Order: sequence, then C-alpha cells, then structure tokens
Amino acid sequence: MSSDSSEKIIDRSAKWVFSFFISSAGLWLLVAALFAYLAAAKLTDPFFLSSCELLTYGKIKVAQANAFVYGWGGNAIFAVSIWILARLAQAEVRGPIFLVFAGVIWNLAITFGILGILDGHMSGHEMLEMPTEVWPAMLISYLLITLLILVIHRSRIIKETIAPQWFILAALLWFPALFLIAWNGMEINPARGTLQTVLSMWYGQSLIWLWLTPVALGAAYYLIPAILGRTIDKYYLAIFGFWCIAALAPWSVVHHLEGGPVPMWIPAIGTVMSIAMVFPIAVASTNFHATAFLDIGKVWDSLPLRFVIFGTLSYTVSSYIGVVFSLPAVAKITQFTIINEFHFNQRVYGFFSMIIFGAVYFALPRITGREIPKIAKSFHFWTSTFGVLLLLMAYLIGGLTHGVLAGQPSLPWSSSVIQSVQPYFIITKFAFVILAFSQIDFVFNVWRVIFPNPLVWLLACKKEVEA
Amino acid sequence: MSEDSQKQDNPSGNSEFNDEDLVKSHVELSKTKHEPTKNFLLAPLVFVFVFGCLIFVCSIQLAHSTNSFQLHPPVDVVELTDEEKEALRLERKIISGEKIFTARCASCHQANGLGIAGQFPPLADSEWVSADPAVITNIILKGLKGEILVNGVKYGSSAAVNMAAVPISDREIANVSTYVRQAWGNVASEVSEDLVAEIRAANSAKQDQWIGDELKSMFADSFGK
Amino acid sequence: MNNLAKFISGIFITLGLAWLAFVVGARSQYGDLSPTASSLDEDGNIPVDSDLHPIALSGIAQQGAEEYAALGCVTCHTQQVRREDTGFDVERGWGNRPSVPRDYVLQKQVLLGNSRIGPDLANLGSRGHSDEWFHQHLFEPQTIIPSSLCPPSPFLYQQIENASSSDITISSEDGLDSRIIRPSIRAKRLVAYLSSLKQDYELPEVSFIEKEESDAEEEVVQTESEDMSSTTPKWLEDQISKGKEVYMKAATGGGMCFTCHQINGEGLAGQFPPLANSDWVLGDKSRLIKISMYGLMGEIEVNGVKYNNVMAPPGIPPGSLTDEQIANVLTYIRNEWGNSASAISPEEVASVRASLKGRAPMQMFTSAELSSPVQ
Repeated sequence: MSSDSSEKIIDRSAKWVFSFFISSAGLWLLVAALFAYLAAAKLTDPFFLSSCELLTYGKIKVAQANAFVYGWGGNAIFAVSIWILARLAQAEVRGPIFLVFAGVIWNLAITFGILGILDGHMSGHEMLEMPTEVWPAMLISYLLITLLILVIHRSRIIKETIAPQWFILAALLWFPALFLIAWNGMEINPARGTLQTVLSMWYGQSLIWLWLTPVALGAAYYLIPAILGRTIDKYYLAIFGFWCIAALAPWSVVHHLEGGPVPMWIPAIGTVMSIAMVFPIAVASTNFHATAFLDIGKVWDSLPLRFVIFGTLSYTVSSYIGVVFSLPAVAKITQFTIINEFHFNQRVYGFFSMIIFGAVYFALPRITGREIPKIAKSFHFWTSTFGVLLLLMAYLIGGLTHGVLAGQPSLPWSSSVIQSVQPYFIITKFAFVILAFSQIDFVFNVWRVIFPNPLVWLLACKKEVEA
Repeated sequence: MSEDSQKQDNPSGNSEFNDEDLVKSHVELSKTKHEPTKNFLLAPLVFVFVFGCLIFVCSIQLAHSTNSFQLHPPVDVVELTDEEKEALRLERKIISGEKIFTARCASCHQANGLGIAGQFPPLADSEWVSADPAVITNIILKGLKGEILVNGVKYGSSAAVNMAAVPISDREIANVSTYVRQAWGNVASEVSEDLVAEIRAANSAKQDQWIGDELKSMFADSFGK
Repeated sequence: MNNLAKFISGIFITLGLAWLAFVVGARSQYGDLSPTASSLDEDGNIPVDSDLHPIALSGIAQQGAEEYAALGCVTCHTQQVRREDTGFDVERGWGNRPSVPRDYVLQKQVLLGNSRIGPDLANLGSRGHSDEWFHQHLFEPQTIIPSSLCPPSPFLYQQIENASSSDITISSEDGLDSRIIRPSIRAKRLVAYLSSLKQDYELPEVSFIEKEESDAEEEVVQTESEDMSSTTPKWLEDQISKGKEVYMKAATGGGMCFTCHQINGEGLAGQFPPLANSDWVLGDKSRLIKISMYGLMGEIEVNGVKYNNVMAPPGIPPGSLTDEQIANVLTYIRNEWGNSASAISPEEVASVRASLKGRAPMQMFTSAELSSPVQ
C-alpha cells in the first residue's frame, strides 16, 4: 500500500496537468518580470518609452501585479494544489483533459485581461483592474478546476485530514467567494462612493491573505515533514493557527484605509485584528522553524527545502513588520509610501513564490523522472535570494525615507521628497534585473525537464489525447 | 511507526516520508494528548497572560478609534451659550431672507430697499415695514392694491404686490420679512414662522388683495409709532 | 476538519462575518448619503435655496475621470485628505479639511488611490492652475517641475508648427526654442476632470481647519519653489481686487467703467472699444493714465477696428478718481480677461498728473494729441 509505486502512479496521473500549469506559470513569471523591469525603469527615467501609450507607468505597474498574482500565482496554485492534494489523498488525478481545458481558459482570460489593461480598459480598483468582460471566464474556469480538485480530495483513502489539506482547500474555496463578492459590489450591484474602495481594498488584500498565503503555508506544511522525514514539531498548534487565520485575516486587511474618507470603525477594526494576527503568525513560524532547526544541516542540503525555509522565514518577518506598520502611530508615516511595494513583494515574492519554487523543484523530478542540474537550481536560489533581499531593503528604507520626508510639510514634494527616494528606485531597478535572471533560470529549468525534446513531447501529447 | 525510526537516515539516502506515513503520523499527533514537559504549566500561563494583555490593549484601541461606529468623523462640538445660538439662528434667518429678497423682491424694491421714486415704494425706513409683523406678512400672502402713502409720498394705483401668485412657504415669508424689517437701518421685531402660519390660516378664505387703508385700520396701533 | 461539508461551512462563516461587517454593514450605514448644504438649520433640515455639495461632475469631466482611470494615474496619486490625527495632508496644504464619505457619493468610480509617488489630487482644482498649466503638465511635466517623475503623455497632444488661439506654446528654459502643442479631445477631458477636483466646501460633518500663521507662510514658500506661475504677491492681489471694485462701482466714488467696456472687457462692437487684449491697455502706461484722468474723444483704432465716440473723464462725478484709484483700476484691467502686464503704481499716476499741470480740468484728449510724442 504505502509503497513508492502508488506514489509513482499518482505522479504519472498528475504529469500533464502539473506540467501544463507550471509551464504556463513560468511564462507569466517572465511576463511579470518584464513588466516589473519596465516599471522600475520608467520610475528612474520618466522619459523612457513615454511616447508609447500602451506602456504608461500606471498601466505597467498594474499589469505586473495582475500577471504576477493571477498569471503566475493562479497557475502555480493550481499545479501545486493538485499535486499535493492528490499525493495526500493517495488518489489519482481525474479528468486531466478538463483540468487542462479549464486552465487554457483561465490563461486566455488573464491574457485578454492584461491586454485590456494595457489598452486602457482598466478600473482603478486594486486587483480588479482587468476588464469585467473576462471575469466570467475566470470564474467559470476557476470553479471547474476547483471542482476537479475537490473530486480528488473526496476520493482520499485516509478520511482524516492534516494541515496542508486544510490550508490548500480553504484557499481554493475562498477565492471564488471573494471574487463573487467583489463582482457583486463592483458590477452587479455597484456600491456607492468610498464603499467601492472599502470593497476593493478588502478584496485585493484578502486575495493575498486568503489565497496566496494559505496555499504557500499548506505547501510548507507538506514539504517540510516530507523532505525532513520528521513530523511537524508542536503540530497540535496548527489547527489553532489555521482557524486564527480564517477568523482574523479577513478583518485585518482593511487597516490600510486609516485616516481616509471611510467610517472610522473600518480601519480601527482592521488595525486591532492585524495586531491579533501575531498568533497565527507565531504558530506557523513555530511549526516550521522548530521542525527545520532540529535538522538544519539537512535543510541546507536539500535545495527545495532551502527555498521553503527562506519563504517561511520571510513570512514570519514580513508579517511581524506588517503588524508594526499597521499601528496607527507608524501607519501615519508609512501609509501611501512605497512601503506598500515592500509588503506586496515580500508577500508574493519573498514568501509565496519562494515556497512555490521549492515545491516545484521537489515535485518536478518525481513527476517527470528527470533531474534538474544542481548548479542551475543553486544559481536560481542565490540570484532570487539576493534579488529579493535587495529589492525589499530598497523598498523598506526608501519607504521610510518617503514617509518621514513627506511628513515635513515645508519640504516641496517632487524636488525634495521624491528626489530623496529616487536612489532607492534605481536599486529596485537593479534588483529587478537580478530577479529577471533568476526567473529566466527557473523557467529554463522547468521547461528543460518537462520538454527535454519538444517533438517527442508533442507526439506523446497526441497519443495521450487519442487514448 | 515510531519517531525514532523516521529520524534515522536511511542508508539508501531516502529519508523522506512517504505520503501515507506522513498523513497517518500527523493524524496520530493530533489525536494523542501532548505529553507534559517540564514547562507544561508555565506555557499556558504565559500564553493566557499575553493573550489577556493583547485583548486589553485591543479593546482600548477599539474604544478610542472606532468613533462609536459612526459614519462621519467626529465633529468638534463647540458648546454655544443660549445667546450665541439665538444670534446664530437669527443670522441664518437673515442670510436666507436676503437671498429670497434678492430673488423675488429686489427687482421692484431694489437691493438697497429704496424702491423707485413714483413707482415702487421704499422699504427702508417705511412704517409699513416696521409696523405690526402681520402687516408685511399679510401683504406678502395676499398682495396689496390701491394707493398707499409711504413717508408722505403717494404710490401705486395699478401696480400691486401679488406674491400669492407664486407659492411661498411660511418659512420663506418669515425669513424675508425678518430681513426686510432689520435691513437698511430698519429695527423692527423678528417675524416667526408660527406667526406666518397663523396669519395664513386666519385669512385663508380671503380672495382679494388687501387695500392699504384696510390694513392700516386693522393695525392702527402699530402705525405712526 | 475531516467532514468536508462542515469544514467548508466553517471557512465560509469566518469569511462571511467580515463580509457582513465591511460590505453589508457599511453599505447599510452609507444608506442614501447624498449632497447637502454646508450647514443645516436649527431643525436639521437643508436650508431653502442653499447650495448643495458635492456637485456632480460635468459630462466632459466624467469622461476625463474615465481617461484618468484608463491611464493608471491612480497608481501614483491619491485623492483623499486624511484626518489631522492620521497624517500631514492638511499641513501640507493638500486640503482645507479632511475628506469625508459624502464627498464621493456622486462619483461613478471612486479613485481614492493607495500610493503617493505624486502629490494628492483631492483639491487639485482649487490650486489656481490655468488650463494651459494642466496641458503643459500633462504633455511634459518636467517643463514645469524639472525634478518630476510623472511620465509625459505626448500621445494626448499633436505637435504643430503654427499656433492658433487654442494651442499652447511651451518655451524651453533659455527661451530659445519653443514647441506648440494642440490638445486632443482626450487631453481636454482630462483637464476638465482635473480642474473639477475640489473639496472646497464645508459639510455639516466637517469644517475647514484653521491654519496657524506659520503654516500658511510655509505653504507659500513651498508653492513658490515648486511652481512659480501660480502665485501672485499679496500687494498685487490687493491692487487688482480694489481695482475691480472701482471698475464695477456705479455709485459716487466709483469708476463705472463696466457700463461701456462691459464686465468681460470686450466693449460693445462699433461703440465702445474692448480692453481685453488691447494695445491701448497693455502698451504705453502714460497714455493709459492720461485717458483715465481726462477722457478721450475722436476716432481711434483698437485691434484693427475703428471707434469714434466720446469717453468722458471717468469716475462719478467725472474726473474724480484719485491717483490710487486710477493705479488700481488700471492694474486690474491690465491683468484681467487674459491680459497680463505690469502693475501701475499711484506714484506713476501722480507724476503723469504733475506733467499735465497746466491742462484745464475735464478737457478730453483727442487721439491726435495722444499719438504725437509726449511732451
């Protein structure tokens, strides 16, 4: 029963789906890297490509965030959740054709959405900027994929579930709920006045806290014990951590509205709940790090695990920094500064993406039966670590400079405040170049094992379809 | 499967959990009670203390910053004395009255209240204005026809005030007549909305415009003061 | 946790609670929040005839709002003034008061923004920028604020060779070369939107924050260094506003100029010459001062059109304007209706008066007299 052969069968059944989602995720990662570089370059030189209307700074920045979260994040979430849930359920992936079909629709919808943004069909609401025409396609394809993942989960052999399953399932189910709420409040039943902002802020931030974060946490809860061969330390805390996130995170995200034209209780509750978030953060970091530090040598030796532990450390640090920055006295300085960029990149890059990289490097050799050269993985690890740290330091220090100088009304805005932040923009541009290299390396690694020989692969595909 | 056996490195290099063991051992972990360690008693105490402090701080923060769950930000409430409130009320009334006057009366009586000699009687320093509040109210309500004497000058035989043709509310009448009675050096009493309503009700059956002498005799006491 | 149905209902209940508060609860709290007067009367009603705020955007400004969203301006600009205890916005001069929910109820799409790489725009329209300023800023912000990071939008403009009246000329700093741009309809929409961004009214729930003196000075320093074009020194403003009074006053001690030259300074075709864009107003100061003292008769040519009428010595009674009044009213007409010329001081008027000592009062100048060299 528990032999490796059953795992091999599962891996084989997941092969096409996982390969499809992770290779399209890789493409989106490159698209996002390109946009990120363009945006950073435009911020250091406003005349760069300024005559091209498709590429204004405002559009590129938004396109980057959308490509990153929906394109890279969405596809990576599908790939990793399908594989981990199938493995834990010890059930084969069913209906790969439908999964790939829905995945194609999802990717087409995001593509048209990003093109729509560049063409100016953009709303000004966080993470809802894509034209509403693509929303139905996104929702339907997403629901189809989730349904098929639920089918896998339902056919599990052991009825009891463990932490990775809770986190991943919850994330998969929260997204359509959030999306429907946002859709209703923006399109079907439009909210009036600043309610729109409350809703879009709630949606945009919840997307990160209730979609990307739980999947990454779930993957970490799976990969750490699986690779180390030991159970999670203080595992009994995990259930507490899970329900804390479920109960607190949707309340905490609105603290960014502090001081704005919304009823004061909304940001006030957000702030209080952000402070309460120290509990789930503490639980997750205890679980991960107590386990990892029992066998730190092995963590270092295993490259996937190195990525994962970097991600969980980043999660702990960034979340605590987030708690501090949500305190009203600090928010007064940091609100509206490029600290926002720090938060976004820390969470989606330093935490989510790093754990996904680890999961992919762990899963791919098992699924395809081909190894990725260690040197290529190492290059990816070091460039992405260095790039992320550089990027985050620049945004953090730059953001604090931005906030402190902006708080001195005697300093003129652009000639003094923004001028002092400009060196940090140059550093971020440099960091995005490094990150672009690391991402190209990642995509190259992934594609090389998935399609060692594109022709053979195409033939195999044809056979699969015929069979 | 004991934990010890997992910790041992497999000579073949495969020390990883397989999935079934991974699930089973974690399920087992969540079922079994955690064994007491030497800090067993201390940990929950610390936890309860930290949690208590946090709830305390959070509730203070909430009580301070939610603004009692109101929609609008807190207004700096300036405590006004009764006289100040009264003055503010009168000031608003006069401002509103001036607007009404400019819109509806000034074309004949002029913005400076002097009227136009021979055509429209002045309101400034006129006993018709400063007489009993009912006089001006009645005129605005029903209009006025025939000749009248204002400050010794005879006015109008055809031109008549006929405000009644255009709907005007009690409040508007109160405001505009208060304005007229207190502008351009006039110093007559304020006209209240209630009074206007009373007069409107009392004369609701009257169809014609007033005639100057009629009004003058009704309120003879207040004229020529 | 093991029963899928229970698990799913659990995670949806936790999400649903937050949804109930932030989406359903907040929505019912906003209710039918609608424009209102700046203050309510004693019964809490909107006073009759009072102006209601906020006002809806005009059609073209609404289209501009869509352009604003489409170009992604909201990525770098907020449109909200924070409360005083949570930020520096009022101190920085970005508004007279914090923004409140009611300010936004008429906007189709609320673009509050969450990042300030550029300054806040909630009150952009009340900073006194002209349309040309906006167009120039949109076309190339760096020609106005050299250190700006705002990307230029040349695609909203057509660069042309010969200017017509609606075009905008941008001169380089050394004044050597200049570019002429013609705004597209999209640029005009954007400018209409940007100049309509104003929260310059009070509402029952919020009133202006009175600034301390030192803050106000700092703000002047800031605007001066950041944007020279939009500030007028206090003395000049005073002179212009007093001059306007003289121009408009039709009673004893006034100038009653508007009755002939009109409020818009355009005069009346065939009868009274225009003051707007007139060489007689913008040109030689002493000629202008002489006319303001003694009047003018005979045929003159203004902007290529001939007028033959009599201008009695201005003022009520005629010729009664003081030196200071003349200085003020002339400064006013030289800086109104698009005119822009140097101010005239009472001393200049006095010296002209002194040079005409022998002239009989009320003796109107003739155009021939004025065109001959000044004695």
